[in-house]
Amino acid sequence: MPMDVAALLKLLEDSGLAARIRDSVFLFPMIESTHVIGLALVFGTIAIIDLRLLGIASSQRSFQRMASDILKWTWGAFALTALTGSLMFITNASVYYHNLFFRTKMLLLVLTGINMLFFELTAGRTIHGWDQAPSAPRTGKAVAALSLAMWIGIICMGRLIGFTTSRAAAVPPPPAGVNFDDFLQGTPNDNGGTQTTPPREH
Amino acid sequence: MVKQFAEWLSTTSPSVFIQNHNSWVIPAIQSVHIIGIAVVLGSVFMIYLRILGWAGMDQTLRQTTSRFGPWLNGGLYLMLATGVLMVIGEPVRELVTLSFWLKMFLVAVSTAFALIFQISLQKNERRWEDILVKRRSIQGLAIVTFLIWVCIIILGRLIAYDHIWGSWSPATKA
Repeated sequence: MPMDVAALLKLLEDSGLAARIRDSVFLFPMIESTHVIGLALVFGTIAIIDLRLLGIASSQRSFQRMASDILKWTWGAFALTALTGSLMFITNASVYYHNLFFRTKMLLLVLTGINMLFFELTAGRTIHGWDQAPSAPRTGKAVAALSLAMWIGIICMGRLIGFTTSRAAAVPPPPAGVNFDDFLQGTPNDNGGTQTTPPREH
Repeated sequence: MVKQFAEWLSTTSPSVFIQNHNSWVIPAIQSVHIIGIAVVLGSVFMIYLRILGWAGMDQTLRQTTSRFGPWLNGGLYLMLATGVLMVIGEPVRELVTLSFWLKMFLVAVSTAFALIFQISLQKNERRWEDILVKRRSIQGLAIVTFLIWVCIIILGRLIAYDHIWGSWSPATKA
């Protein structure tokens, strides 16, 4: 029996948590900022490992030592990014679900996972042989180059999602004179992309 | 005055070019800017982890900074270049916000910290490796400077949501 995706998306959007994020002025921007911090650490640390595999940087260090030093932080940051990404997703689930860039991004994420598994099954099995070598064997280098390319693609797709989806609770900009006390009553109105209307003049 | 400047800047030809190719130029510049964030944050993160003794302990502090320093500098130049392009492309959106100026202030603070650290490490390399890196105050300072980078990233994203500052934001002022 096929799962009713539309109903599931609606269920997510209608959840109390999604409504709470939508109805807050600052929750969505803070979640989005945390997402950027998480992804910066994910990509930053993965790039360090990939450049080591390619022999471009850190080529004198033991690969295993580096991997055990760094990858735990990568996974922690990935968990943070996935959590904040999911929170953004539920605020407007059906719009994101049908967005081409969102779908491409999810596909690329799956492919980076497969790429990582492929590494474990190939070059990863012979690490003791090249751990101190300046670069990984050919398959390891190919995996690293693909990983870098796909993560850059994921970042670009992520940014494009913000430009091609409109926020569920779009409202006009708040009038002048709004202050911190109004945070809990207001709703966010910017899609995080370009501002189509200039700040209102009063 | 900033507003007049921003409005003038938005009439110049580079700005008009970006505005006319808005649909792909702005996302492309922002994506490169985010890649720059990853390079910078990843690099400072590894240096801070080494100072805190949480990673890279098979390397000296000096080895760690010579490994990541050039990438940090390169990443900062990349962000400066893409940042300038974003200001040229959307001057009013950037310059007439509280988030932008708070961010620039913190960028100046953290750049000063980084410079002082680099100069001090060069002058007192042995002292840094043997004593300073283990000192609680230095480790605390490392955490604080990392948090400043985190605030810079948050403020960067808040430029798009400057209305959350309410009347504190010049964007909502008449």
